[in-house]
Amino acid sequence: MCRAHAGVRHLLGGLLNEEEEVVVVVDMEAGLEHLSRGTGRGVDTLLVVLEPYYKALETARRATELGRELGIGRVLGIGNKLRGDEDREAVRAYAASHEIPLVGEIPFDEEVLRADRAGRPPIDTPEAPAVQAIGALATALGFPP
Amino acid sequence: MENPSTSGCPYAPGTSAALAPGSEPVRRIAIAGKGGSGKTTISGTLARIIARRGRTVWAIDADSTPNLGLTLGLPREELGGLQPLPRTLLVEGTDAEGKRKLALGHPPSEVVRAHGRLTPDGIPLLLMGSVGHAGAG
Repeated sequence: MCRAHAGVRHLLGGLLNEEEEVVVVVDMEAGLEHLSRGTGRGVDTLLVVLEPYYKALETARRATELGRELGIGRVLGIGNKLRGDEDREAVRAYAASHEIPLVGEIPFDEEVLRADRAGRPPIDTPEAPAVQAIGALATALGFPP
Repeated sequence: MENPSTSGCPYAPGTSAALAPGSEPVRRIAIAGKGGSGKTTISGTLARIIARRGRTVWAIDADSTPNLGLTLGLPREELGGLQPLPRTLLVEGTDAEGKRKLALGHPPSEVVRAHGRLTPDGIPLLLMGSVGHAGAG
């Protein structure tokens, strides 16, 4: 492992060691390059995003396997950009066949695209269906309103 | 397992018993997915919702194209000025078995206070920097 990789991993590992009641949210690379067997144990929950098309599902499956190899205790799936029943069933079937428990399902939402184009955060439109679904995800993870 | 109160709703959230009763509370969340999968939108929005529900939240951008700041509410023109955490925060020590090991030289909360960019919901944002382009370190 090169020193630069090790540096990033040690920094992240150090931050995850915080003992206070802080919730830490890490936006990761799909390959989990910033985690090692040592720092992976500092993560208690890995959320893998499952979009209803093959390449995204395969990436999510690999992230799931990596997370388990790294010793992360809980690896959960989130369906995202679901346009209806067919998408939802596709994600559910894939998750079930690879034993990825689903903790949330987020609909496809034009508002997220509009926010992205305008360079503003989606949460500025709290009534947007995707934002509502992420609120439900927070509740499912143990952070109720 | 279908939740009876939401069955029939096309976007019923959280339909599996993912968090078993009595399981360890969620505190250290990592989010992974294919580029463009909506990972950053979910990370940032989830962080802000948890913060608005009264918890202290830190956000860490460990993606190679960091743009979590935008979802957290930083103005676009500020994103370019964000600096990754300096490697100089790491000091060499020895672990319990006497092996040399790099570790943070300060408590994490101090590092976050000093280097985190505070975002509108009170969430400090930290950038890890890219492992892919980190050079010789």
